[in-house]
Formats: sequence, C-alpha cells, structure tokens
Amino acid sequence: MRALYTASTGMAAQEMNVEIISNNIANMRTSGFKRQRAEFQDLLYESLRRVGASSSDTGTVLPTGVDIGSGVKLVATPRVMSQGSVAATEKPYDVAIRGEGFFQVNLPDGTTAYTRDGSFELDPNGQLVTADGYVVAPGITVPANALSVAISATGEVEATIQGQTATQNLGQLQLARFMNKSGLEAKGDNLFLETPASGAPLVDIPGAEGFGSVLQSYLEQSNVNAVTEISDLIAAQRAYEMNSKVVSSADQMLQASAAMMR
Amino acid sequence: MENASLVGLSRQVALRRELDVISNNIANMNTTGFKADSMLFAEFLMPKARDDSFMRPDRPLSFVEDRATVSNFAGGEIQTTGDPTDVAIDGEGFFEVESDKGVRYTRNGSFKVDATGMLVTSEGFRVMTTNGPLQLAPNETGFTVDQDGQVATSEGTRGKLRVVRFANLAGVKKETSTTFSAAATPTEVTSATRLIQGAVEKSNVQGIAEMSRLVEVTRSYQDLSSLLERQDELRRTSIERLADVPA
Repeated sequence: MRALYTASTGMAAQEMNVEIISNNIANMRTSGFKRQRAEFQDLLYESLRRVGASSSDTGTVLPTGVDIGSGVKLVATPRVMSQGSVAATEKPYDVAIRGEGFFQVNLPDGTTAYTRDGSFELDPNGQLVTADGYVVAPGITVPANALSVAISATGEVEATIQGQTATQNLGQLQLARFMNKSGLEAKGDNLFLETPASGAPLVDIPGAEGFGSVLQSYLEQSNVNAVTEISDLIAAQRAYEMNSKVVSSADQMLQASAAMMR
Repeated sequence: MENASLVGLSRQVALRRELDVISNNIANMNTTGFKADSMLFAEFLMPKARDDSFMRPDRPLSFVEDRATVSNFAGGEIQTTGDPTDVAIDGEGFFEVESDKGVRYTRNGSFKVDATGMLVTSEGFRVMTTNGPLQLAPNETGFTVDQDGQVATSEGTRGKLRVVRFANLAGVKKETSTTFSAAATPTEVTSATRLIQGAVEKSNVQGIAEMSRLVEVTRSYQDLSSLLERQDELRRTSIERLADVPA
C-alpha cells in the first residue's frame, strides 16, 4: 500500500518543519539571529498511464495520464536574511549593521567566520572581541587611557585620550558580503562560514556601494516574528494530524482486505 | 458466478489508487507551488458472448478503471515571506526555468541567487528572462520585480521574467520538485496575470476536502469488502446445499 509510505513522508516532513519552527522561536531573543524556513518539494511520480501515449492506430493520443505521486521531501532550510530591528543598548562596543554585510571574526583555528551579532567586548589587551572572545577582524586595539570610543557610520573607530584635544584613529571596521548569503553555513554561536554555494566574500568598508552602515551602541535583534511562527506551527501540526489520518485510513483498508479471508 | 467478485475487486484496486493520490496531496499540503491531483474513473465494459439467437441476450459487464489523474491548476494562497527573491504568480501562468534536461515550468517562485550570481530555483535550475538567464554582479543591489515581471536592480532594468501559459493544461505533466514539463509550445501570459515580489504561492491542497474524500474512500472500500464477503458466503452456502446428497 503506497499510501502508507506517502503519508509517512508527509509526517516526517512536518516533523522537521516543527523542529525548524521551534528553533526559530527558541532564538527569538538571540541578537543577529536569522530565521529559517522549511522548503518542501514533491517526490517522483509513477506514470501508470503515460500522457501522450497513443490510444489507437489512427494516431489519437491520451490527453491525460495516470500519475501517482510518492510524497514530499524537505529540500532546503534557507535563512531569511532580512534586517532585524535594532535596539539601543548604551554599550559603546555594541555595533549593529543596517543593510547588507557581516562582521568578520578570526576563529582560534585560523579560519574566518561571519556574524551579524555585533555585541563586542574588549579583552585584557584592549582588543575588540566577540562575546566568545574571538578577535574581530581587522583587529582594533583600544588604548588603556582612552576616555571614550566612537564608531562612525562608515566604521571609523576613534578614541578620545585624556589630555589630548584631537581624537586618535584606532582603525576601520570592515564588512563582508556574499553573492548568495542564504548559502552560508551556520556554525552555531551566531557565526556563519563560507561555502562553495555562498561564493567568496567581498570585503569593503561600511557604507560602500552595496554595503550597509554600522550603528554604535545598538544591537540587531533576531528577525523572528512570533505571530508568523505560531501560525506556521499550527499549520504544521494540522498537516501532521491529517497525514496520520491517512495512515490510519490505509490501515483500516488493509484490515478490511485481511478480514475478507476466513 | 465470479463476476460480482471481479467487479468488486476492480473497484477496490481503483480505490487504493485514489487513496495513493489523496495521500500524496496531503503529504504536500505545505509544499510551495504544489498543485493537487484528483483521479478520474471510467466505466470499462467487458463484452460477453453475444448471440441474438439467445432468448435473453447477455449483458456486458461493467468494471471500473482509473482513467487519468488530473491536476487542479487553481491558484494557491499567496503567503508573504519578505524575501526579495521570492516571486508569486497571481493568475495563470508558469515561470520558465532551464533544467539539465531542458526547459521546465514551475509555479514555485522561491528563487535564490547562487554563488555565481545566477537567479535559480531551489533545485538550482536557472530562471529565464527575456534576455536569457539572469546573472547579478557582485555589487548589484536593490533587486525588484514589478507586477509585469520586469526585473530592475541598481544597474537598471535587467529584462523581464518569462511567465508563460498553455492553451491546454491537460498536456502539462508533473515532474518531481514542483516542476512541470510540456510538449506544447507556450505563449506569453496576458496582462491579467500579476507577479508579487516577496511572496510565494502555497500549495492549493484543501485539507478539509481531502479529509472527506479520504473518509469516502475508506468507507467505500469497507463496503466492498463486506460485499465480497457476502459473495463468498453465498458461494459457500450454495456449494454446501448443492453438494448435500440426501441419503
């Protein structure tokens, strides 16, 4: 009975859909988090009567055929890379990106990761690091005697030093963007890695053509919308239930067949 | 004698096929751009020996046969996603995409930009415009699609998405991954079809309708089972009675 297996692909797909929705809801308050979406596609069709096959010797063809599908599969869980809302934090090293781009982070193993989470801190040496202590590339070191640090919309970092009227330039924040940002691999810890699907990073200063600008003392919130997620959850749950009804119907039909033989 | 059983069996086979179709529809309730299928049945007449010399001519037997699965091409609900490369078709028509096996058609407009800047479907098939496949430059931004399918970016207009229609939808064959193939040559859609950017077309499967069809199929199947059982009983009783030789 094919219906049993078809319905089980439906149940498996909806189960994964619920897993994705629950991860989105769990990360509602994660700064820089981008929600994921489940994308489904139908599976192969078996042609029991092929459309267009000849139906007589005079060249008439079947206008429609019998095609039986075999279920559904989850093909992709792309991230919706839309802008999250920015919230004021009053912390000097919190930086939000408005528009396209990712901060670059040097991982301990020497590779570069990308993140939209700009909740940076200073390490004991005054270096700008992420909440996990990884260095933000290109490295920016704040001197110990700095009174305050200002980050401009184009990523220029300047410090006011005690006893000096002119500000001291500490460096320039840079952003990376990708041709296909949905193709980045999520590594966890709000970090993304480059993949063959994402393409190579293009690095430039904030505010350059195609790049977003940065905003000091603000953090980008997650772009999860509670209402959308809950309504998706309801739809997924109902679809799961309907698939389970198909399984029990197929079971009843099999039972009816089995009961015929006595 | 056997005929009633055979007619009943033909119906049971057909009902199983119908259940397969329903279960595929329900499995694809959340598949973007999916079109529901329904089954068409036909009466299959089995001619028997005919001769006018008989007093009462034999009547042909009537079996049931699954004739065709017909896709319902009615539009699904439009759901906004906010993704600029998602495009939904409001009205008739299909996007033209280029697969490794040739031109295919789809209503699933959740497109992506791949690593080389090509606009592709989630299967990686290239989306066709009037200027061929669309490739975006690395620093090109502001991707917009207007309601006629005209694509514009920061580099100006980049051509029009090819949205086509078929005079006869019965010749459009379902393939996997919500794509369709067709032997006929399509024509450009009329201005009645609108494109909506930042939205996708949901599956047009109607859960309630499928559920009631499911109940109908299950019940008919059970009824047939009991019919076949009665037939069996009838036969058994007749064998018992007729074979009972009075002593």
